[in-house]
Amino acid sequence: MAAFAQVPSPVYAGDAGRAAQRPAVRVSVRPTEASIASEAEIRQGLSRHLSRLWRYGLVLSRQRDVADDLVQQTCLRALERAGQFQPGTRLDHWLLAILHSIWLNELRSRKVRLGQGVLDSGDVLSVDGASQAETRVLASQVLEQVDALPEAQRSAVFLAYVEGLSYREVADVLDIPIGTVMSRLAAARARIATRLSEVEAR
Amino acid sequence: MSIDPDKITDEEITAFLDGELPPEEAARLEALAAQDPRVAERIEFLARASLAFGEAFAPLLDAAPHDRLAAALAATPSPAPARNGWLTRRSLVGAMAASLLAGIVADRALVRLSVPAAQEEDEASEWRKAVAGYMSLYTRETLSGPTPSPQSQRADFAFIEQRLGLSLSPEAVALPSAEYRRAQILSYDGQPLVQIAYLDPETGPMALCITAHPEGGRQPMESERRRGMNVVYWSSADHAFMLIGHAGPERMKDLATGLAERLSA
Repeated sequence: MAAFAQVPSPVYAGDAGRAAQRPAVRVSVRPTEASIASEAEIRQGLSRHLSRLWRYGLVLSRQRDVADDLVQQTCLRALERAGQFQPGTRLDHWLLAILHSIWLNELRSRKVRLGQGVLDSGDVLSVDGASQAETRVLASQVLEQVDALPEAQRSAVFLAYVEGLSYREVADVLDIPIGTVMSRLAAARARIATRLSEVEAR
Repeated sequence: MSIDPDKITDEEITAFLDGELPPEEAARLEALAAQDPRVAERIEFLARASLAFGEAFAPLLDAAPHDRLAAALAATPSPAPARNGWLTRRSLVGAMAASLLAGIVADRALVRLSVPAAQEEDEASEWRKAVAGYMSLYTRETLSGPTPSPQSQRADFAFIEQRLGLSLSPEAVALPSAEYRRAQILSYDGQPLVQIAYLDPETGPMALCITAHPEGGRQPMESERRRGMNVVYWSSADHAFMLIGHAGPERMKDLATGLAERLSA
């Protein structure tokens, strides 16, 4: 599962994405059909990434029902904006960016409701088998560390370290300068390292 | 915390640990770490936060209600043709700009005539659809909390006036029985969209939404139903308005009529 999160899907390989973004002198006129993503493609991409989108929604909102809503709104918005997606760029990143902006602009206010942590549902992390007991503890500690971060750091850490995005890609999804990504990650690392050192010292 | 002598920052070390530092700079940092134990220590410290993030979060993918989400996606209708068809507002503007560039004077009326009536209608109602979409997610809890003071309302309204060119006052937007909760600026199609949210003790969330109305033109009040809510909408010369909520159509219309009168006063 971890591999799934890290490996870019072959259809939208990173290199192709970067090449498409590079400003280049247009030599030939691309056929119109190829330059407009069809709604069907977006629909397909959405269905492939539903769980990843939901997970990001959960990391942002810490609430399962809000994560559900975020994914549904993302589906709606992405289909409406199918024409704005640039073929050759990463569809999964585009979808994450849409979800993030919906969270920021529309749903975040719902968080006034008691925020329950990502960890709160014990069933999420229960893994069968005693041999995995140790791994389970570690995983829950990692979740706890990320969960304790302020939202801005949490989203940067999730995108960079869980989803495996480059700094540039994180900056694009969050719509912030790359320097801000660096400072959020640095602050998050310092915070996590400090907390882990405190735990150890106990 | 930065290390003074060589001005190594946590950002640099983080980029180094994440493999985002250019090779020359990474080499410089490694050389520094070899010379200066403080640098090495700080790298070691920040590296403690290099955890197995991917593994830890993997179970959350399985926890996602995939089937339910897939069903919701399948049930999400295709957007109206105006959105992804050949003549969205954006492409229309683009086409007009292109015509002007080519030295062709695009007659507005002529261009408008070429837009099929049904699509034009979709374009005008699109924002109400978007508003209904997110309003349907609101619950009473979304709008729980106290009513902001008139002073803080005025501060919000001053900001809104700047963005939208529309002057509002606590008195003008107040509704009988429904309690004012907040004003916020959202964005629709790159344009500011103001949402003034109320909590109606009887029926729940209600909102007055306003957006600039570039086409202009007064439109009389009309009603419709969207997502199980009642909508009353109208336009002034420069702005489009909608009141959306769960109250019955008659009451919504009364509330909207009062608002329209006070807003145009």
